[in-house]
Amino acid sequence: MLTTRRCWLALFFAAALCWIIGGEWVSIHAGVPENHFIDSLGGLSFAIAGVIAADRRPGNALGPLMFGYVFLSYLGNWGNLRVPGLPVIGLMGGQLTGAVLAHIALAYPSGRLQTRGRRWVVGVIYATGSGVCLTLLLTFDPRASGCPCVAEPAPFPSRSGAMTALLVGQRSGIVLVPLFLAAIWLRWMRATPAERRDLMPLWLAVFLLAVVYLLSGFASPDTTGDPFAYLIWELQAILTVGIPAVFVWGLLSTRLARSAVGDLVMDLKRPLGSGELRALLARTLGDPSLGLFFAVDGHDMATGHDIWVDAHGRWVSLPESGTGRQARTATIVEREGRPLAALVHDKALDSGLVRAVAAAAAMRLENERLHADLRAQLDEVRASRQRIVEAGDRERRRVERNLHDGAQQRLVTLVLSLAMLRDRAAADPELVRSLDQSTAELKQAIAELRELARGIHPAILTEEGLPAAVEALADRSSVPVRVQANFDGRLAEPVEAVAYFVVAESIANIIKYSRACAARVELSRSNGMLLLEVADDGVGGADVSAGSGLRGLADRVAAVRGMFGVDSPPGGGTLVRAEIPCDG
Amino acid sequence: MAEQLAAGSPADAGERPAVRVVLADDSVLFREGLARVLAERGFDVIAQAGDADQLLAAVRREAPDVAVTDVRMPPTNSNEGLLAAQRIRAEHPGVGVLVLSHYVETRQAIRLLKDAPARVGYLLKDRVSDIADFGDAVRRIAAGGSVIDAEVVAQLLRRRDDDSLAKLTDREQDILELMAQGRSNAAICAKLYLSPKTVETHVGSIFAKLGLLPAADDHRRVLAVLTYLRGS
Repeated sequence: MLTTRRCWLALFFAAALCWIIGGEWVSIHAGVPENHFIDSLGGLSFAIAGVIAADRRPGNALGPLMFGYVFLSYLGNWGNLRVPGLPVIGLMGGQLTGAVLAHIALAYPSGRLQTRGRRWVVGVIYATGSGVCLTLLLTFDPRASGCPCVAEPAPFPSRSGAMTALLVGQRSGIVLVPLFLAAIWLRWMRATPAERRDLMPLWLAVFLLAVVYLLSGFASPDTTGDPFAYLIWELQAILTVGIPAVFVWGLLSTRLARSAVGDLVMDLKRPLGSGELRALLARTLGDPSLGLFFAVDGHDMATGHDIWVDAHGRWVSLPESGTGRQARTATIVEREGRPLAALVHDKALDSGLVRAVAAAAAMRLENERLHADLRAQLDEVRASRQRIVEAGDRERRRVERNLHDGAQQRLVTLVLSLAMLRDRAAADPELVRSLDQSTAELKQAIAELRELARGIHPAILTEEGLPAAVEALADRSSVPVRVQANFDGRLAEPVEAVAYFVVAESIANIIKYSRACAARVELSRSNGMLLLEVADDGVGGADVSAGSGLRGLADRVAAVRGMFGVDSPPGGGTLVRAEIPCDG
Repeated sequence: MAEQLAAGSPADAGERPAVRVVLADDSVLFREGLARVLAERGFDVIAQAGDADQLLAAVRREAPDVAVTDVRMPPTNSNEGLLAAQRIRAEHPGVGVLVLSHYVETRQAIRLLKDAPARVGYLLKDRVSDIADFGDAVRRIAAGGSVIDAEVVAQLLRRRDDDSLAKLTDREQDILELMAQGRSNAAICAKLYLSPKTVETHVGSIFAKLGLLPAADDHRRVLAVLTYLRGS
């Protein structure tokens, strides 16, 4: 298929070459006073651009339009042949080249006239050109204009009619060119930054050409007699060479961008830091605002859509395809039929380039996706673990408060009632003894309940914060414990609770196992971290992995994103260290 | 022992004007019960409060001899009773405070004493079961003394189980404990059946052995002893 198309293209190109060279040859023989070299160069550049466009962008109308331009613009040259009918057709061709050029400029780079406004402008230009052509066809009599050659007369020969048509054809530029420029201006205003980058050189050339056309509207139709008209005409020819050159450059620049994919492949071989992949892709694509997102396993329960996360594992939603200046679109990269990553980019980027870049980076994208997926899961696990621990602490505080306001208060009130009864029963020694017994039992129950509540969540922690609660622990310890704290304020409740239980469990371990003579607890707060150390001079040999107590502490500290460590060489005492973020 | 001490006190109180008391506790049942018990013991319970603000207002209005307050009260249910007690001691030097709590902590006790070494008390809430002792504690505060819960002192003694305390005789240790609770020499005499002279000799010996400077009065002595025991 490809080869067949290429053959046809080659054939077309050869035909266009013949058409151009032949036309130029005719002009030379007819003695037309113009720069044949520049004139042929203009045609040639359009033919080359047309071939490249048709080859690189099959289905895009720009290639055929360029060939059309070549065909029409050389009709005039062939018109110098002394063959019946040809001069008229040649004149007509000249009327339509401007319209084709406007069509190409407004359809670049997609080949389609995408808005109603652009279609309308191009339509008006074509209609004007066609109107002039038709009038010429009906009224132009070559013999009347001094051409000795051609036999066939026009159906309604009228020299003034033909001249008027020619004049209209030329002067209409005064209206049509500003109309065209307005369409270009609107297109520019609506273009995205990437589009503007692509459009800029072409439009500069088109703009200059349009200005020259505009000037030609004021020049005499007789290009051979008037030097100004001749200058304008030559300028048009030169600029006409430039336009396809710029167009070819535009196509090749896409090609250049594709060669950047090669550099990308090399860059992807070295290790990349976090966020570097996105930066690399953004640079290769020339879109600094490129967004890189990853599909994680599973679907959104509510919508059934894929779940997308950024490199940090945070949930994001892909943009809907939009229109207008800021339009962004998402190119989904798939692997084995499953979405892998999404590149959210400027809509104007060449989709082939985006796919090429995505394909080159597919391995890395898969890698990054796994990382992002893992981070998302880890974040969720961390958050849920923290929620569970905090819920546990909240529950402990609630139970302690309920005991304090409920059972403890009731029992103390009851003990008071018994005391009042005892006061009144003083006369009955038997009753007094029995009441004393009940009171003693009740006081024992109160003491036990007090210890129970203290173990659940110490009141002093709620009332006065961590240093006070740690001092209270030290006050109760049978092994002397020295407490040093460089702050006395309050911390967040979860932090206080975790830190307290680390110290409480450590001191309990010291009392139970360490055979230590002394211990110290240090609490310090700096740079948003709470650092706590519990050290003793006991037998050491504590193992985090062995006992559930230390293991539980490590888990609790990890739940509030802290660090926990135990250093306990046999015979060398034990040092328990925890670092917990406490937000300033 | 307590009964003997208690038996003497109300009789004396009958002659002197009754001690005027303000009670603060968020449990109405407990407050009412305590008010009744104190009233029966010859105290004049002139006002009751359900939270710290009401307590402060009542103290300002009534200028009582003693304000009895729970540590934990609404609205925050943390330590507003304790804070109110400290404010009362600072703003109304003539008003004594007795702080009750379901828990006793040496840190809180020492903080109370440091701010005002006289006319303060700190007791476990269930001490109300011994009405005579409790009434005695309120009276001692009204008279300018200090009362520290035996549990606090016991805790400190357990902790300071070192050489310095081993130097004391058993008798001296008993006396140290009572001193730490805020007992006066006279009260110690009554409790331990000792003559005033003997108690004074023991006290002097304790201070010498522990290397403490003799305190100016009974309640400053409490702070000195507690601070020593706490080792800070």
